[in-house]
Amino acid sequence: MKLYKKEGNILQVLSFPHENAEKGDYLLIEDPDAHKALIAQVIDVQFASIPGVLEELLRTLPDGGEPIQGEDIDPLEIAPHITYIQDASLLICKTRATLENEALSPSSSWLPSRSQSTIKKLSVPMLLKLAKVDGQRPIIVGGTKDSSLLTIDATAVDGTLNIVTGKKGCGKSHLSKLLMASLIGYKATVVIFDLNGEYTNIGLTKDGKRNMYYDKIHALTPSQNFKVALDQLHLNVVMGILIHALHLPATSSREFRRLWKNLKEKGCLTLQEMGAAIRDLKCNQHVRDALSSRYHALVNSGFFTDNPAEATLLDESLLKARDQGGAIVINLRNTSTIDRQIVVEYVLGKLVDSLQSWKLKATFLFAEEAHLYLRETYWDDIVTRMRHFGIFTTFITNQPDTIRESIYRQADNIFLFNFTNEHDLDVVSRAARVDAETVRSIARDLPPQHCLTLGKVVRDFPIVARVRALDMKTMGETRLFFKNIN
Amino acid sequence: MIEQYTITTTPKYNFPQPSIDTTLPQRFLEQSLHSLKQVQHQPFQLNQQFQQFHISEQHPSNLQLKRQPITLKPDHQETTIAAVDTSTIKIGETSTGIIIAIRGATTWKQNRRYRYTRLGPFIFHITEDNKNEVYNTLEKSYFNTLYSSNRHATPHLMQMPTRLASLLERWLQTMLAKTVDHGLILFDGSLTSGTIDTPVQRMKDILSLARRNKSTVLAFSKMTSLRVNGYLITDQLPKHEPPYLLETTGVQFKPPTVVLGGVYVARLNKASYAFRLDIDREIPLQHRMAAVEKLLGNDLYMQSYPETLRLSHILCTFTANEVLAIKHFITRKHGIQIINRPDMHKLLFGPFGKGEIHS
Repeated sequence: MKLYKKEGNILQVLSFPHENAEKGDYLLIEDPDAHKALIAQVIDVQFASIPGVLEELLRTLPDGGEPIQGEDIDPLEIAPHITYIQDASLLICKTRATLENEALSPSSSWLPSRSQSTIKKLSVPMLLKLAKVDGQRPIIVGGTKDSSLLTIDATAVDGTLNIVTGKKGCGKSHLSKLLMASLIGYKATVVIFDLNGEYTNIGLTKDGKRNMYYDKIHALTPSQNFKVALDQLHLNVVMGILIHALHLPATSSREFRRLWKNLKEKGCLTLQEMGAAIRDLKCNQHVRDALSSRYHALVNSGFFTDNPAEATLLDESLLKARDQGGAIVINLRNTSTIDRQIVVEYVLGKLVDSLQSWKLKATFLFAEEAHLYLRETYWDDIVTRMRHFGIFTTFITNQPDTIRESIYRQADNIFLFNFTNEHDLDVVSRAARVDAETVRSIARDLPPQHCLTLGKVVRDFPIVARVRALDMKTMGETRLFFKNIN
Repeated sequence: MIEQYTITTTPKYNFPQPSIDTTLPQRFLEQSLHSLKQVQHQPFQLNQQFQQFHISEQHPSNLQLKRQPITLKPDHQETTIAAVDTSTIKIGETSTGIIIAIRGATTWKQNRRYRYTRLGPFIFHITEDNKNEVYNTLEKSYFNTLYSSNRHATPHLMQMPTRLASLLERWLQTMLAKTVDHGLILFDGSLTSGTIDTPVQRMKDILSLARRNKSTVLAFSKMTSLRVNGYLITDQLPKHEPPYLLETTGVQFKPPTVVLGGVYVARLNKASYAFRLDIDREIPLQHRMAAVEKLLGNDLYMQSYPETLRLSHILCTFTANEVLAIKHFITRKHGIQIINRPDMHKLLFGPFGKGEIHS
């Protein structure tokens, strides 16, 4: 390989076929006289502009279509040299860092010698070693192209905002399960908003046996094994549900607050009592009607119960997860939009309460397609306020434009799968920790199950890896009509 | 000059394969390798200008061009058309000589399909010390030494590329003449012989071989310097519907130069280009016209030039990519280091230094 051009932080490197460089590879450009080296990543591979190639190709197509048949007697065997030159490629590289005295710095302001520099591929393990991507709590994401493992540190996910995105069927959920499993392996508390019920059985292996996570997975299905008694609820949580999920007007909210306090003081905070109280409430008819309709929405959700025995699971699960690590899977499958919002409001409120009162230290929240259940004001809450409480969110989506731009700007880590749509790539490339060219060029060509990891976990050295397999019953596969039909 | 060998040295060839002597290509290879060994691990200077060598044509004083066109009618009777061309290029210079590459190509149209065979490239390191040995060895290896009169046996170093290419071209023409039956053989250039690299007897033998196989040799010159009344013969086209030929008379040169063909101006389609066409003089006039008509009925024409011959030219020409590959080959295989000696024209005259060929 030879250094050809440098413009800004873009390098052009001439590469010959046997050197076999591909998109995503890292190169070390060492200048022996300067005693330093540039670390650059290949973001595109183009044909080198070789003089005479067009003539070479044209003369094989004299009839404007079918190549002319013939035989070449080439006793000196020059032909391999011709193809060698013809197949030379130009690697478009992005400089990532300068290596000097075995220390990395983000500077790329110097120019290595074109004639004296030596260029070689930098293996991922070596890069990770130089970048000091290591730690006490490794998470093996998968295998890289050079058959090494991409291992990130769980502490690099701690306190961060993460995004897992890519088009449908490329392995997003798989990676989020991997991250989740790894985190609970380190005794972390994880809460998952599971839109399609695909996390509920991850405690089982593919053939249905219990795996190592079995005891740590707490699958909660609203209105089935996940119910709430009113007296367990904080007023703030209930108000959140009524205002944000059920859109209760302000006047009615004030009336409800008063009603709630009365029932609480009397020690009869049950659904039945509340229904009677609303019925007997002496107030404006419209207010009563508003409260009555919200009450019935709560009752009909099946999520609330007056039986305290039915309403203990979330607390128990959180306690278990706090002590041994575990995942609380909130199964939102078969849940209506309103009920879904009620459940999410409740869970988030409960988490904030638990974190504020230090019942929980911190929790990792995995939110799939969050735009389907997260109210508008929560987006900013999650990246600012809730983060300080200790809720560290990972958004998983195949529609990157449903996540707000402010989330991308503040995302610490992005796990990017294949996208071919320009618009999607544009949205993702707004992330502060990545350059648009890298996203556009590499993500477009990622094969399925391959992920471009960006951000803090890889010390801002974007790395492509094939996400490793998990022995879990994922249930994330799409149900097909024609499958198994002869 | 362009050329190509028509017949492969292997039995895979789709062509009729009588006993073909493969000595010459083998000698080319041997001499190529031998000459390159002599220059191993030496630095060499890349060629800064591609040089072309022109042999100035004599001007016959009593040349006449008949104004009456000979009208042609395409004859679609299936006929094999074969063409040959060779090419040479100077790759660079060493301290003692030059490094050149030579390649030949034959193309033929049979059953409405074009096929080709390319021979080479052969790469030679030619020095003042080895030029005679290289040339004479190659000449003797196939052509009878009878032809190589001693006065031409010591070509100038700079003439060696064209002389070697010419040698390969004549060999390829001979192979075609030996192997093509009832066909048309297209040469690039004229049927002028008695020049340094085309002894009269050698050309006569090639034509004779072709006639023996009932084939006709048609030689197309892309450029000619033959003039009548001061104008090039190819510029004096009558207002007549093509295809047609214009016949010339009085094409005679000072000995030993002899033209072994009848010389015509050929305009084969409506494109406003015409070419000098030499047709074997020993063939009766009627057969000559029949041969051109068969060519018209069996080949394609771009700018009035036969496609088979055009392909031969294209296939043997060296592209810049191939020149780079050859440099890569001699560097890798023979350890010859490339050095950059300054181009004195550019150095002295800057943007006004156009190179040696323009000096």
